[in-house]
Amino acid sequence: MTALGTRFALNLAQVAFLLIFAPLVEGVLHRLEEIIQGKRGPSIWQTYRDIWKLFGKDEVISEESTWVFRFAPIVAFVMPMFVVLLIPALTAYPLFFAFMGDMVAVGFLMAVSGFFVALAGMDTGNVYAAVGASRTHMVGFLAEPVFIMVFFSVSYVANSTIPYFVNATWGASWGSMLQPSHLLVILAFFLLILADEGRIPVDSAAGKVEIAMISHSKGLEYSGTSAALIKWGGTTKLMVLAMIFVNVLVTPWGLAQGTQWTAILTAIGLVLIKLLAFVIVLAFIETTLAKLRLFRISEFLSVAFVICLFAVSVRLVGIG
Amino acid sequence: MNASWLPALILLIPFVGALLALLNRRAAPYMTLLAAAITPILAILAALQVESHGLLTGTDGFFALDALGALYLLPVSFVYFTSSLYAIGYLRERRQKHPAGTPPRYREYFPLMNIFALVILAVPLVANLALMWIAIELTTVFSAFLVAYEDRAEALEAAWKYVVLTSMGAMIALLGVLMLYYGTHAVDQPPSWDGLLKAAPQIPAPLLLLAFVLWLIGFGAKTGLVPMHTWLPDAHSQAPASVCAVLSGVETSAALYMLLRIYPVLASNPGIHDPAAWYMTAGLITVGSAAFMLLQVHDFKRMFAYSTIEHMGIILTACGIGAAVHEQGTVYQLFAHGFTKSLCFYAAGLAGIVFGTQEIAKVRGLISRAPAVGWALVIGTLAIAGAPPFALFLSEFEILYTGFRTGQYLPTGLLTAFIVLAFIALAYQASRIAFGEPATAADGRSMPKVRLPRTSLAAMAMAIIPVFIFGFYLPPPLAHLVHQAAYLLEVHG
Amino acid sequence: MDATVSPFALSLDGSIAALFVVLGLGVMVSRQMLGTLRFFMWQSVALTASALVLADALQAISLLWVALITFSTKVIAVPLVLRWAAGEEIYGRREVDQALSISASVLVAATLALVGWFAVAPVLPILHGTPFALLNLPTGLIMVLWGAFTVALRRESVAQLMGLLIMENGAFFGSIAIVHNLTVIAEIAAAVDVPIVALVIGLLIRSIRRVTGTTRVGGMDKLHER
Repeated sequence: MTALGTRFALNLAQVAFLLIFAPLVEGVLHRLEEIIQGKRGPSIWQTYRDIWKLFGKDEVISEESTWVFRFAPIVAFVMPMFVVLLIPALTAYPLFFAFMGDMVAVGFLMAVSGFFVALAGMDTGNVYAAVGASRTHMVGFLAEPVFIMVFFSVSYVANSTIPYFVNATWGASWGSMLQPSHLLVILAFFLLILADEGRIPVDSAAGKVEIAMISHSKGLEYSGTSAALIKWGGTTKLMVLAMIFVNVLVTPWGLAQGTQWTAILTAIGLVLIKLLAFVIVLAFIETTLAKLRLFRISEFLSVAFVICLFAVSVRLVGIG
Repeated sequence: MNASWLPALILLIPFVGALLALLNRRAAPYMTLLAAAITPILAILAALQVESHGLLTGTDGFFALDALGALYLLPVSFVYFTSSLYAIGYLRERRQKHPAGTPPRYREYFPLMNIFALVILAVPLVANLALMWIAIELTTVFSAFLVAYEDRAEALEAAWKYVVLTSMGAMIALLGVLMLYYGTHAVDQPPSWDGLLKAAPQIPAPLLLLAFVLWLIGFGAKTGLVPMHTWLPDAHSQAPASVCAVLSGVETSAALYMLLRIYPVLASNPGIHDPAAWYMTAGLITVGSAAFMLLQVHDFKRMFAYSTIEHMGIILTACGIGAAVHEQGTVYQLFAHGFTKSLCFYAAGLAGIVFGTQEIAKVRGLISRAPAVGWALVIGTLAIAGAPPFALFLSEFEILYTGFRTGQYLPTGLLTAFIVLAFIALAYQASRIAFGEPATAADGRSMPKVRLPRTSLAAMAMAIIPVFIFGFYLPPPLAHLVHQAAYLLEVHG
Repeated sequence: MDATVSPFALSLDGSIAALFVVLGLGVMVSRQMLGTLRFFMWQSVALTASALVLADALQAISLLWVALITFSTKVIAVPLVLRWAAGEEIYGRREVDQALSISASVLVAATLALVGWFAVAPVLPILHGTPFALLNLPTGLIMVLWGAFTVALRRESVAQLMGLLIMENGAFFGSIAIVHNLTVIAEIAAAVDVPIVALVIGLLIRSIRRVTGTTRVGGMDKLHER
């Protein structure tokens, strides 16, 4: 195969990796949380079974709804796949699509998926879904400045917003890893993931009460194939964000340097281990913290904002 | 005579006093009095040593007392003594009035008072900057429960504000202290006043300036500089008068002492322009605010507290105005304020017993109800306001004279105006309390005579003596000491 | 002074400084009393860690003392004292009152941080002999300012005490980089000082709780000029 062909194939491998392992990540997270809470918890394969079962079910679509309702699950499912093309998922070198977009594009793709899901939520006329949509956007608005500050600090440190370059900048040495600004960005980004993914303390992913839901009530009306896509899309989104977090920010090592199959397979193993570590941390946070009241979310995100501001100013004064 | 054991002994006596007061609760007041009576004698001995040798060091350079320190040591030890004497009767009187019998803190009072005096005495004695800082921080800590003596919600509020604000200041000052530590260490000098002065020209100016600003804020909070003064009137309105005398007379000056001593260090650094401006600005803001507050106080203990703020401001301004031209008013004011303010609070405390309230609006005719207290209050107020022939008149006159003589018309003019304003306010308030017809009881008969504790009256009488004498006569050694102390604030070379 | 420290130690200290700041922010905005206390403990751990890193990099034995003293007093002694002083109230998940909303106070904190930086900026060039000071001194000054702000902001005695203690943490964090050779006497005295301060303030908190029934001090506003 030509070099270009190999890279294209590797890109496809990244997508496959994402689709295959995303439900597992979520399954492990659930299991861990239950174990920490002193319960046995479902099997780690449960998410696969759920998705499989949903694919086999009939779908009910409200007569009142429009094409947006049917279209949204597809968008939600596809966007994380686009994102994974842009980020260093398995390889340390840029692949075929790497220069299609930078981290801002990643944010944009995520926002498109969120936008469609929110529209679909309002489309059905279900009250809870509309409430969830508006709340999601409130969180989104508050998260926006933090996002921008994260981009600022990242580009300031790495002189680029292409995830591959950021990864290379931070992975260069221990010295660059331990910069204060880097650490602060990691922290702020983690808080962002919590907010964006609807995790405790912002939102409870395991909550069953519609009135308290933020992002999870938008999918209430879906059934059958659409529900499966929404669910699968949700797991891939979590995994993509987690991969950006671990591969670009926290541990920018362990990715394949060459194109040999052995290198790729080692990279898969290492990335899975990193994701496991991330999931363990996430599970601990989710089980030890309490959910914030809705109006406290702004405080949560303002803390993230100040941390980011700090990261930038540390760079500005030139001591980190 | 080798007197290197003196500083350690001065600190040992209150410590022993505290131990004895802790061991034998019944005899605690007398043990405290004994310790407090020995301390002034030792302080005078130490001051005489300093006067003839210039510097008193002890115990491997752990202690160092120079003229300015000695000049501060004298009022501290004297107020410690009179306050201990005053407290015996005063606290017993308050004890009988207390609804729950003995106030819960009565037993803690005497040990704490000894330790409190110990840490104030340590400030001018120890040679190391960090230890001075620790001593100042501990004055807050050990006096917290003296302020909260009454154990009511208001007293606790006052104590809380006092502890939190002054500790906050102490933490800010700590960073400054450690920066100066670095500054002296970098040029191989010990972190003492002497070493600091020698190192001063070589300390980088930005470092020194930052350290000084931290000091000004940090120790300024403890001194009661506006706007960090809010704790001061609150604490003084709630604490027992015997505590107020120490707190106001000498404890606030401990932090001021630090601020004064850093002045020559600043001035001998070529990179710092016009350090006097800092002193004059901070001082004048404080004097001005205090003078206006004095016009509208409603509580006579708060009135004296504001007067303390005013005096701290005057001393700071005076340092800015006059230190360059060997002006002795600054140090003399620091010295005389301790004596005078303790007298004011002794009188105010007894007036509180006579009337059962501290509200100026509710009290009239103190002189006809308790002549001794009334006249003491009048004398104290006049003395603190700076009327002749009292000690503070001398120092204030000299400060203003120096200011006008050296052509610093704006700051000196402002200072004069504020002092006059404060004088008017104090005289007006004191005349309302002391003169006039006393209120009569409901049945038209005059109020019964109040029996005042004799030890407290004796302490008050003793406090009047230095206020009076130092107004027109300074013993030659003392005059020499003042001269030496003013020399230390000057810039040489 | 040793100007040839490894970049690794510098980076490590930088990261600790970043954590130190974030934990200080936690003390300032944490809603629960126990949370504030935990943030303070972790911040003291960060101070200990920084002292250890500096002790190793600068070969300064006295910093080991600072580390030991910090850890034993601030991480172990102070929390014990506070739990005793505030009693079960510290476990109550009661929210701590603030004078400003958290978002506003966080912005003030950011401003204060910039103020701290600009205040310390002219000093930094002269400290080139002490590489760690470039990180530690601004961080320490910022923490001193934040602590003062926390004291002003909080209306709860325990939280105000935490503010005081993070000021002290800040002062030490800034100074371990520039004075790693305090005389041992000063160190021991400083070590004795912290628990005494905490103990006395703890006793005061206990008295306030006994007399007013709560450790909240926001309601204590009887004393003022009429």
